[in-house]
Amino acid sequence: MTIVRTEKLCKVYNPDTVPVHALNNVCIEVDEGEFTALRGPSGSGKTTLLNMIGGLDKPTEGKVFIDGHEISSMKDSKRIDFRLQNIGFVFQHYNLIPVFTAAENVAFIMMLQGRDKQEIRKRTDKLLDQVGLGDRKDARPAQLSGGQQQRVAVARALASEPRFILADEPTANLDTEAAMNLLDIMEKMNREQNITFVFSTHDQRVIDRARRVVTMVDGAIDQDEIQDPDKT
Amino acid sequence: MKTLLTLSWRNIWRHPARSSVLLAAVIAGLWAGVVTVGLVNGLMQQRIDYLIESEITHAQVHHPEFQAEGYSWLYIPDHAEIVEWLENDERVVSFTSRTITDGMLQSPIKTSGVRIRGIDMPSETRTTNFHDNLVAGEYLDSDIRNAIVIGERLADEHNMELGNRVVLTFEDVDNELTSASFNIVGLFRSASTDYDERNVFVRADELNALLSDTPVHHEIGIMLTDETRAAEVVDALNSEFSGIRAQTWRQLSPELSMLVELGGVMVVLITLIIMLALAFGILNTMLMALFERMREIGMLLSIGMSRRRVFGMIMLEAGILTIAGAAAGMILATLSIQYFSDRGLNLEMFAEGAAQIGFDHIIYPTLSVAEYITILAVVVMITLLASLYPAFKGIRINPLEAARDA
Repeated sequence: MTIVRTEKLCKVYNPDTVPVHALNNVCIEVDEGEFTALRGPSGSGKTTLLNMIGGLDKPTEGKVFIDGHEISSMKDSKRIDFRLQNIGFVFQHYNLIPVFTAAENVAFIMMLQGRDKQEIRKRTDKLLDQVGLGDRKDARPAQLSGGQQQRVAVARALASEPRFILADEPTANLDTEAAMNLLDIMEKMNREQNITFVFSTHDQRVIDRARRVVTMVDGAIDQDEIQDPDKT
Repeated sequence: MKTLLTLSWRNIWRHPARSSVLLAAVIAGLWAGVVTVGLVNGLMQQRIDYLIESEITHAQVHHPEFQAEGYSWLYIPDHAEIVEWLENDERVVSFTSRTITDGMLQSPIKTSGVRIRGIDMPSETRTTNFHDNLVAGEYLDSDIRNAIVIGERLADEHNMELGNRVVLTFEDVDNELTSASFNIVGLFRSASTDYDERNVFVRADELNALLSDTPVHHEIGIMLTDETRAAEVVDALNSEFSGIRAQTWRQLSPELSMLVELGGVMVVLITLIIMLALAFGILNTMLMALFERMREIGMLLSIGMSRRRVFGMIMLEAGILTIAGAAAGMILATLSIQYFSDRGLNLEMFAEGAAQIGFDHIIYPTLSVAEYITILAVVVMITLLASLYPAFKGIRINPLEAARDA
């Protein structure tokens, strides 16, 4: 089942001064359960594409459909709510709320969704256990390592039970061990719970673990290949 | 809501020093506002009370032209009937009749123009408390014939002291010049040095003996049960008696009335300046806090926190600080007002200047409950208004900030 579909997606920055064509007629489909990496050199448009799919930015031309809903034409407030209910985000810089504990960071998004307190508590504990941080749930981000923070970010992204998770350079700030650990968790969730992951990356370690690798060059898709799952 | 409150509360204490500065600004703003209003109120009220209680009284009766001309023959007609009317009016607490003329005070070294006030001791002390201003000697209850009480300042200028004699020269009711020697029995010091230089007190009967064959009265000072009824008493007197002019203290002393209004304007101006400083302080601190959290707010918007909630979060932060600051500021201000209203704020360094314009250098601040509430409301409103700009700026943050490099 297709979750994400883009139609001739174009994005031009500074159209009136010095136009920069970040995306050129990008058409891509992501099916449920995919573990997809967007790769490409800096400026190739992978983060821009991720932002369009995530509804964080609007395309200059073209459309983005998530589960059949066209989010590119949604009003800002509707798009925010759509993101809350359907999309999980993992950022390169973790972006946890520094004044909240790991558990509160995970629980926060469910509170925004207006879920029941008991359900929130149970799910928070479960998710933190899944990312191997059951014993650090009361720690604040400053008390966690980069790898641990990123695992909290993954748990937070999963908390809202999104249709898919977008991760922008999730391992860029992590050492090899932390990166591998994070990838193990993400891959396990993808395999066991059929959670869809789309990430932009430069990191060969991530690319090697992806089952689908989309290569972008100059704002367009250059290659779209399925990797041998046995390779990982 | 609870989550937002928790988030806002913790955000406040993310930088305790900065939040403390903001808190201190609110406390200081409120304290300064309350104390300033209290002091200006106190200053004005003291001046008004002093003038009313020591001299002007709530209402006065004169010959219609006496105040403009000042001649001794412009005395109050039908004085006995007016006195009888006043004695029978329940709104009147007390009254006193004064015999007044302008003249010259002569000492061996100098001559000064003075207003000679002939007073009836028993009724004057019942009606006013001017006798409290006596700083040396005795009041006019002395046995000495032709006793005079003069201002300490006037005595200094004439190099005179208690027991010395001065000569008063003035026109009697027949327009004839009259002179008499008076013995200085007392010295007074009122709130105004100008007044002290220009007014002397003698006994009314002794002055009357020099002015006219029959006693004349130029002024009746009236104290009422309620100052707010002055206008109606004055109207009643004016309609009851012809050939007189009764006036309220506001009409008698328009400069005093203006002072009250000026005081109000000053209070508004000073409070406005304090509030503006407070507003910019808050604006600056809130903006700093916002700029520092651009990426974090971008992240909140990315993961699905509505802009309404982001706005609420920022306003809650400002609101919590405002409520805490306003509460602390109000307690501090109330304690300060209470402390100084008991003991007075002694501005001795300005005593001379204050005395020249008729103000006491010890100020007893006063503040009504309505003024407390108004200042509190203004501070809370200013703080919240100053937070609106950062809050609106906060909701305009692009969620893409979340992905930006540090």
